[in-house]
Amino acid sequence: MRKTEVLVVGGGPAGLSAAIAAASMGAKVLLVDDGLKLGGQLVKQTHKFFGSHRQSAGVRGIKIAGMLLSDIEKLKDKIEVVSNTTATGYYQDDGVVTAMTGEDVYMKIKSERVIIATGASERMLTFPNNDLPGVYGAGAVQTLMNVYGIVPGDRVLMVGAGNIGLIVSYQLMQANVEVATVVEAMPYIGGYLVHASKIRRLGVPIYTSHTILEVYGKDAVEAAAIVKLDSKWQPIPSTKRILNVDTVCLSVGLSPLIELLWQAGCKMKYVPQLGGNVVLRDKYMRTSRRDIFVAGDVAGIEEATSAMLEGKLAGLIAASDLGYAYDGWEADREDTLSSLEELRRGPLSEKIRSGLKEVVVEW
Amino acid sequence: MVKLSEHLRRTGVFSMEEVNRVMPPPEVLKKGPVAVVECIQEIPCDPCHASCPFGAIKEFKDINDLPEIDWEKCTGCTLCVAKCPGLAIFVVDASCDGDDALLKLPYEFYPVPEKGEEVELLNRAGEVVGKGEVRSVIEPHKDGTKVVTVHVPKDMIADVRHVRVVR
Amino acid sequence: MEKFTDDDVIVCRCEDVTLGQIREVIRRGYTDPEEIKRITRAGMGPCQGKTCRDIIIREVARITGKRIDEIPVPTYRPPSKPIKVGLLAEESD
Repeated sequence: MRKTEVLVVGGGPAGLSAAIAAASMGAKVLLVDDGLKLGGQLVKQTHKFFGSHRQSAGVRGIKIAGMLLSDIEKLKDKIEVVSNTTATGYYQDDGVVTAMTGEDVYMKIKSERVIIATGASERMLTFPNNDLPGVYGAGAVQTLMNVYGIVPGDRVLMVGAGNIGLIVSYQLMQANVEVATVVEAMPYIGGYLVHASKIRRLGVPIYTSHTILEVYGKDAVEAAAIVKLDSKWQPIPSTKRILNVDTVCLSVGLSPLIELLWQAGCKMKYVPQLGGNVVLRDKYMRTSRRDIFVAGDVAGIEEATSAMLEGKLAGLIAASDLGYAYDGWEADREDTLSSLEELRRGPLSEKIRSGLKEVVVEW
Repeated sequence: MVKLSEHLRRTGVFSMEEVNRVMPPPEVLKKGPVAVVECIQEIPCDPCHASCPFGAIKEFKDINDLPEIDWEKCTGCTLCVAKCPGLAIFVVDASCDGDDALLKLPYEFYPVPEKGEEVELLNRAGEVVGKGEVRSVIEPHKDGTKVVTVHVPKDMIADVRHVRVVR
Repeated sequence: MEKFTDDDVIVCRCEDVTLGQIREVIRRGYTDPEEIKRITRAGMGPCQGKTCRDIIIREVARITGKRIDEIPVPTYRPPSKPIKVGLLAEESD
């Protein structure tokens, strides 16, 4: 049985920030991450981040990962990192987290505070032949290209014009892969319009009120059909068009990875604005279980900057529970909180705000 | 909330009104190079302000505000062009006599155009609208985003927003 | 969306379960995703339902006319990833 003061599950932007904050307070941290390298989704984000210049906006995600990792390195007497390790369960009776490194090392971890920062998984769509090779999650394609240097094909249909769909389309074009079309079922582009403009001036069309109908091919994707939707979301058969593509990328939303929180018995609520079932928590990210915190996409689908701020909050509070502090940490906490509020104040964050209203409680 | 056209929200391409909204007036264009800030949706983002050494992009009261540019102070240095995460800032220089103008745009592709090379000029919808000679390529922040300066006809400075290398 | 999808569409890739099979058990009266999981094995493979869980809950909601938040969520039982039995035995002390 391993023992630690703060266990952080997940080494993405939220988990790294949580570990740094808790260790800066003085707590002993164990950081468990399923990747071979830390950084989560940041390492594939070759685009520059939006947000405040105070939180490294204008810097590429992969650079931000490097900055966080150098902070982790500076705190290495406080933070123990265990990579290639998946947290496999939470057992309520004794508060133990189990984890497996690779496939051959299994461990039990007992910790005074747990911060769950497991992120999210990509949603799937149901359409004929959706299991043919060549149908990918857009995030998976981003990993393939930007982490492993592998392009998925020659010509892509992107399904979904949210930020991920638009950004991955741009990055496909950067990798010299043609993006035939972006389709979006909603009547309007969901992602930032500057991202849309970036791919439009490269010549990539975006069709709103359109969706994928089916995919054709024997052993792999050879073509895909798209169709226009009427105002009641029904396909208009006469608008069906066949595109010669060998790759279909789905960027149709993310689901929070809540398994551990569920197993821990944290109170939950179905909040579609936040991506599905998420935990109730206070403004400092504490769940209904006093010893368990959340941060990042698992707490509600948002983006990396807010994930880092949430992680910092969770890390500060978890460590302060155990009696740790540094000079001015409370001012830091309030500053982090107000940065989060500012980030979510704009018209495009309305959905997030309405979702948060349903899950942010006072314990 | 700032109003955006149906056209932009459905296609990602500015309407004529939106082009006019962002373009500097003729008397500003006459004076020298200036930034055209094509950021008209309120998103939480402010690095353009911090990147400007001349204080030409005003400080944000709220991070979701639209950037406001003071063309009197703007020198057209392109530091904001290379910093903007949305690649939504361009510099136009229509101060020379005659038909020729210069357009400076952010560029993150391979191959990188070379000085003197003739490239295709693309508009906001990705249509080729002409050809132009590359005057220079710089990388202001050494962070992968280059700024390409290309000759364009004066009457196209509001249209051309991308260049494509054809070899 | 579901209207123009085919019954042959694979919903659970790990256990090879189709949308048609899911619809069939719902029609037979199994409207709790936990029951559907046990009968069809959808969600019991290596990924533990990361893809199919949402699709099945949406399908139940569509056919029964209930809201998604009224559909019970199937249990997330550990381990969330396959573990060799030998590893469990080693750790049991």
